Amino acid sequence: MMALDFAWVGLGGGLGSVLRWAIGRMVGERYHGGFPLATFLINVSGAFVIGYLSVLIGVDWRDRYSTAIIAAVLTGGLGGYTTFSSMQLDAVKLAATAPRRALFYLLLSVGLGLAAAALGAELASWQG
Amino acid sequence: MINSIILVFIGGAIGAIVRELLMLGTPHLSDNFPLDILVANIAAAFLLGLVTALHTRRVISDDTNLLVGTGVMGGLSTFSSFVYGAVVLMGASTQSAVVATIYVGVSLVIGYGAVTLGMKCGKGRQS
Repeated sequence: MMALDFAWVGLGGGLGSVLRWAIGRMVGERYHGGFPLATFLINVSGAFVIGYLSVLIGVDWRDRYSTAIIAAVLTGGLGGYTTFSSMQLDAVKLAATAPRRALFYLLLSVGLGLAAAALGAELASWQG
Repeated sequence: MINSIILVFIGGAIGAIVRELLMLGTPHLSDNFPLDILVANIAAAFLLGLVTALHTRRVISDDTNLLVGTGVMGGLSTFSSFVYGAVVLMGASTQSAVVATIYVGVSLVIGYGAVTLGMKCGKGRQS
């Protein structure tokens, strides 16, 4: 990994994180229910985009920074935008009052996340 | 507002770079199990639990929480690579589909445990 790869990953990671934070704020202002909606929407949408772009660009899932686009958008941007840790924190917080909903949230996030990534990949390969 | 954006940006940039460094240092397994992503996600989950508990106790400020909790830990962990890697493995062969299923299950269970442990560590002795 070269210095320039770090720069692209860092730039993408910073921008992706700011987007995640901004969407979290917007959703938080409008939705006050008992479901961690912001992280859920962010993760499922990010999963769709990574599936779509990976197939569109034709990148192997193990390749993380061979080109600037891969480093900045896929590895940095989508990695910074989506979050595994906040999903787990949401679940742990939710479990204190509603353990069933916490389990439902985790399973739904991962289930729909997997489906969204597969759908994105499918759409890109269908477009050719 | 601008201040918050800068904190999240810097944190996210650091987190994403540390994630890749951590992944480079993680050994590759012969059965394609994505141990590197798992390690980054579990580390971020533990540290986010810790930071959140410290923030609740007011040991760290709102700004530090935004920089480290929202920025660094969000950048360090990734959901997109987690699910996409699993999808690719699931479609590759029956054997790697089994590996992918174990990977998803193990990530969820250990990740949850890591946040819980981090929060416990951050709560201190009095509670």
